[in-house]
Amino acid sequence: MRADARGTEAGATPSASASWSIRLDDVSVTYRNGTRALRGVSVDIAAGEMVSVVGLSGSGKSTLVRTINGLVPVTDGAVSVGPYAVTGLRGRRLRELRGHVGMIFQGFNLADRTDVYRNVLVGRFAHTPAYRTLVGWTTPRDRELALTALDSVGMLDKLWTRASALSGGQKQRVAIARALTQEPSVMLADEPVASLDPPTAHAVMGELRRINADRGLTVLVNIHLMDLARQYTTRMIGLRAGEVVYDGSAADATDADFEEIYGRPIQARDHLGSAS
Amino acid sequence: MTEPAERLRIPPKPTHRLRTALVVAAFAAFTIATCLPAIGGVELDFAAIAKNWQNGAEKVGQLLQPDLSFLPRTIGPMLETIQMAVLGAAVAAVVSVPLTLWAARPTNPEGVTRRIVRFLVNIVRAVPDLVYATILVAVVGVGALPGLLTLFLFDVGIVVKLVSEAIDSTDHPYMEAGRAAGGTQTQINRLTALPQTWPLFANQWLYALELNVRISAILGIVGAGGIGRLLDERRSFYAYDDVGVVILEILVVVIAIEAFSNFLRRRLV
Repeated sequence: MRADARGTEAGATPSASASWSIRLDDVSVTYRNGTRALRGVSVDIAAGEMVSVVGLSGSGKSTLVRTINGLVPVTDGAVSVGPYAVTGLRGRRLRELRGHVGMIFQGFNLADRTDVYRNVLVGRFAHTPAYRTLVGWTTPRDRELALTALDSVGMLDKLWTRASALSGGQKQRVAIARALTQEPSVMLADEPVASLDPPTAHAVMGELRRINADRGLTVLVNIHLMDLARQYTTRMIGLRAGEVVYDGSAADATDADFEEIYGRPIQARDHLGSAS
Repeated sequence: MTEPAERLRIPPKPTHRLRTALVVAAFAAFTIATCLPAIGGVELDFAAIAKNWQNGAEKVGQLLQPDLSFLPRTIGPMLETIQMAVLGAAVAAVVSVPLTLWAARPTNPEGVTRRIVRFLVNIVRAVPDLVYATILVAVVGVGALPGLLTLFLFDVGIVVKLVSEAIDSTDHPYMEAGRAAGGTQTQINRLTALPQTWPLFANQWLYALELNVRISAILGIVGAGGIGRLLDERRSFYAYDDVGVVILEILVVVIAIEAFSNFLRRRLV
């Protein structure tokens, strides 16, 4: 499973997509309004790791995860993912890289007024010439990948349902299927459960862990809740004010470590609670 | 009722009485000034109403006695008007889709092409419809074609402007997902932005159709086909009973089209 980075591309079966490592080297991001979101962040994530990035809102988690697929360009330093040096990538090569990196979001980011099937086909963008999307011609293989991905998250029966008619948990499953349809080598998740109720949150986190275990995919999850980080990830990176303040085992992280990350005593709302 | 107000210390509500009074006064002064011919305002001869009302009442009386035997002669031109309206709206609907997506910021982040399209559409929209009709009649000749082209240009102008502004003012979170999946803007627009903005389009297309019926009724006055030509002809013969028939018919058709488009709007949006 954890094949080498340069693995197979064309003709690969869904489970055979190679897993890639992620490397951030002294990365800083300063937004145009002057906000310094990341300051000299260096992180090395091996292929197949399940990593959480923990921090309060505004700590730079969202920025960090977006530097990995180039949604946010870095101001300083270098990011590489598998065989790609992300820094400075543009146009076709950047889209090609993004095709290998799946991502899910706090707000699910589905097109609400269209059905689940078309939302999942978004995952084939990087592998589809624009003219074919324009005329709406889907290859049998794209269809196969989309249906398989939906089936793997248990949403195949909602294929023709409008995204707006789904519950939050169902939307996030569809978003996961959309990312899996890419046959990604890396899976990014930006606060994937922050808009969900506790049982659904556990189900979605379990889904991400299963993707990591079954496919050996590198998974990077942004999260602000300490118990979810401990329970579902093996390694934890703590961010505070754009700087890495913790990098180590998630299970062994003490309450003191979390207080260091949060920069304040632990409060009840830092825990989600167990599934009911 | 008053109890909470006494218990809670409510901060005084800020008032802007002086500012409001000044603004109102300025508007009133400006409005009055536009009616003073001495300083270049419009000349309004209200006395003419009193002087000529007899004359007008006579014509209104004739209008109110429509000669329904004239009705058969109006059917053909009326159909031409409706055809122009529908065809103009349909062709404009097709053309408006790519132009609108080019003119809106979320669907076209690239500034240069967006500004060019917006600029051209603004020019198209700045020209009044009767001016288009007059010029086009001179260019392509009298008939339905100049009317059709006029309606097309008019519709493209309003649909592109209104829909692209509506797209600008809404959130499009699915775009980030499309970008993260490695999509080009064209792909994102086609597969997700289009179904997402479809109701905005449908709304304005139907509105354009309603406007078309109303506008095409008068385009004939400058020779651009339809019922307007007949209206103008009967009026120049002082056949106000026939004009009454035409006006009545336009009224019926406009209301029918509005009812129809309201029905469609409820189903689509």
